[in-house]
Order: sequence, then structure tokens, then C-alpha cells
Amino acid sequence: MKKILAVLLTVAFVAGLAGIALAEDTYDIVKKRGTLIVGTKDASPGFGYIDPKTREIIGYDCDFAAYLAKKMGVKLELKGVTSAARIPQLQAGNVDLIAATLTWTAERAKQVDFSYTYFLTGQKFLVKKGTVNSLADLEGKKLGTAKGTTSEQNASKALPKATILSFDDYPQAFLALQQGKVVAVTTDESILAGILGKAPNKDQYEIADIRISDEPYGIAMRKDSPKMLKFVNDTLLEMEKNGEAKKIWDKWFNPKSDQPMPRGKFKITADRK
Amino acid sequence: MFKYQFDWSVVLTGQYAQWIVDGIKVTIQLSMASIALSFLMGLIIAVMRMSQVAPIRGVAHGYLEFIRNTPLLVQFFFWYFGSYQILPQAVNDWLNARDFEFAAAVIALTIYTSAFIAEDIRSGIRSIPKEQMEAARSSGFSYIRSMLYIILPQAVRLTIPPLISQFLNLTKNSSLAMTIGVAELTYQARQVESYTFRGFEAFTAATLVYLVMSLVITGLVMLYDKKVLSPTGMK
Repeated sequence: MKKILAVLLTVAFVAGLAGIALAEDTYDIVKKRGTLIVGTKDASPGFGYIDPKTREIIGYDCDFAAYLAKKMGVKLELKGVTSAARIPQLQAGNVDLIAATLTWTAERAKQVDFSYTYFLTGQKFLVKKGTVNSLADLEGKKLGTAKGTTSEQNASKALPKATILSFDDYPQAFLALQQGKVVAVTTDESILAGILGKAPNKDQYEIADIRISDEPYGIAMRKDSPKMLKFVNDTLLEMEKNGEAKKIWDKWFNPKSDQPMPRGKFKITADRK
Repeated sequence: MFKYQFDWSVVLTGQYAQWIVDGIKVTIQLSMASIALSFLMGLIIAVMRMSQVAPIRGVAHGYLEFIRNTPLLVQFFFWYFGSYQILPQAVNDWLNARDFEFAAAVIALTIYTSAFIAEDIRSGIRSIPKEQMEAARSSGFSYIRSMLYIILPQAVRLTIPPLISQFLNLTKNSSLAMTIGVAELTYQARQVESYTFRGFEAFTAATLVYLVMSLVITGLVMLYDKKVLSPTGMK
């Protein structure tokens, strides 16, 4: 009986300690520590990747992290995380925030808190410059994509009268676009940007500002930190207002970059999308 | 052990069944058009290959070696993508506005298979004693006419078994057309798989359809041989 009591007491004590530790808002932890630890990708060109010259992680996500740290008045430490480890690392307390191409989903929002959307992507169309301005320009035309992808399903939903040619892979779909066999190649914008970035005659093509699926990226944090959430959200809105957010976008995704993605009508707002 | 719950309703009813049916139609059209054209082309090449005129023989020989010794997949890409570089822009525009994917597939299958058919027919021709040709020529038949009326009818009859093999190969090779976006049977089976994750059902259905088609082709050619080519039972 005594033993059981002892075990119960120990459990209660440890749980209590953990409770106290976790109950502290991430914002206060960071202030006390003097360092903001942000998890970013380290092999995602444009978002978070290692600069071959300085060996440091750079990219769109990192610039947002740097702005947040500066605003807080603390030092910044970037930690490379993988897609699978992002959320567990955050929950284990190894990082304070994750800015690592993390798409908002209802499922994830149950586990972590998301900031406002700071990057919006989704399925778009790679076309010859100036040929396509709206979804209507594509209806009934031939479109190219790759087999076995959700891109094809999204496209046939959005454009029921279009003929969709599924090629084995994207280079062939792009070749078909170059030869006028299809009027657009459609899939996730990041893939399109990768194709466009490598294309020898990239000034003749563009990613049309038509989106048929949404992938809003948010900065994620632990659920017990309302102060941190408010700080991040306020800072994001401020960055939109003072033009910093647009500047960072254009720095990494301008038409001359390896990942040319137009910002289009996107703005950081207090809405989810 | 293999534990997989088959759910045949996916490929037997509704939208996905319709896709498979659409795929079957395209595969049949593709195969039939290519079989007819490749047989004709094979005859012509075989006769050219046996011609007395050296340059004609040379052209046919070159064609055979080139086509037989390059992969069919590469030929699909050549006719679909490569032709763009050679053809004038106006022709390309005209083709792109139409179902060029299907046409390119027929061209690739026809040209590839015709080379094999030509060699089969040539061996059939060679098995006809050359005295027949001499007798025909001395009776006043021209070379072409001797071929058409005397030699080829016998040669083709002897070539039936290898011809069936070529037609079956062609039918199965037609699945490569999916690499250039032709929505034939294998393409549709793959579509059903990527929409429903019911790949086993989709591909089993496709396999059965290919099997049935192959058996039907074999049956038809045998029937043609029996009723039309060798009605007297000559073997």
C-alpha cells in the first residue's frame, strides 16, 4: 500500500513539474533564454537550404525567423528539421517555432497552433507568357501533367471539359508545352517553379496567377503559448504593412531566381486563407 | 501471407468501369489500325527487300535494321516529340489542334511492327521454290504481278503463325502509347489505381482484357486462314 502511494506521489510530482514547465509561455521562455530557436528546412531551395559558401541555412523561412528574433530583441538560432520530425521536435521543446514549409491542415491544427499564412502556394499552371489570364482560358484545352498525381484530379475537377494528358514525368509535360501540344502544365507551384527555374528559355514562360488548390504555410508553435501566437501574428501583419514580407518574397522567388514564383494577389492577413 | 480484400465493384461499376471501357475502346482502335497498316507496310518492305534492284533492296535493308534495333519507347518519343523539330510550324499547329497523340502512336506501332512482319514474310517468300518465280516470269508475268498472284498468296499462308505473334506483340506494345498521353487500357487502369488505390483490381481487369483480345486476334487470323487463304486445306 505504501509502495503504491509512493509511486502515485512520484507520478503526481513529475507530472506537476512537467505541467509547470509546459505551462510557461514560449514567449517568456525565449525572453529568459535570450535565444529564439527556430526549426527550418535545410534542403528546401528557396525556403531553407544551406548556403554552399557560408555553410549557413538561408531562405524565405529563415528571413522571417530573423525578423521575429530581431523584433523580440533576442539572438536567433536556426535548426534544420525534416518534414517528418518538424512537429515532434516542436512538441518536445527542441525548437520554439517551426517555419519549415508547413502547410496548415485541420489535422495539424489540433496538435499545434498556426500563425497567419505567411506563404501561399497550391496547384497552378505553367504557361507560355501572356497566353492565359483566367481559368476560362484553359477550359476545353489540352493540359499536361504527370501520371498518378492528385494534380490531375484537381485539374479535371476545376476544368471538366479540358483534355488532360498525363505524361510519365514533368520534363515530358514541359516539352509538350514547349511544342504547343498542351497549353499548360499543371501541378504544385513549387514543382512548376523548379521546372521553370531550370528551363533554358525561362523568360518565355510564366506561372499564371490561377490557383486551383490551396496550400497555406504557417509558422507553428506549441499550443500553450498564446503570448507567442499573438506576437508572431502581430509581427507578420506588421511585416506586410511595412513591405518587409513582400521584400523577402521577391528576394527568394523573383523571376530571375531558381524558384520563380509570383506573389500575385497574396497578402498576409488575419484570415486563414 | 497475402491478405488483400479484393473489391471488384470498383472496376465493374460506375465511373471507373467507364474509364476501363473507354481504355478498351482506344486499345482496340489503336491495335486494329496499326495491325492493318503494319501488315500492308510489312508486305511492301518484304517485297522491296527481295527486289532485283540493289538501291531498293538497300533502302529496305537499312529500314529493317534501323527500326528493329531501336527501342519502341524511343520511337514513340521520336514520332511524338522529335517530329516537331523536322516538320514546318504550320503542320505542327495543325497536328497539335488534333488528336496527334493517337496518330503518333499508330505511326510508331506501325513502323516498328512492320519491320518484324517484313522479315517474317520474307522468310515465307524464300520458302517458295524460286522456280515458281522463274516460271511465272517466263509465262509473261511482271515481277510485281508474279509476286502478287503467285508468290505472296502462298508465302503469307506460310507466315500465319509468326504473323499472329507479331499482331499479339503489337496489341500488347500498344500500352506504351500511354507514355505520350494516349488514354488506352493500361493508362486507364493506372488512373483507376491512382484515384482509388485499387491497383490490383484495375490491373487484373486490364490483364484479362489483353488476354481476351489476344485470344480473339489469334482466333480471327486462324479463321481467316482456314476460310479464305487455305479453304482446300492445303498445309
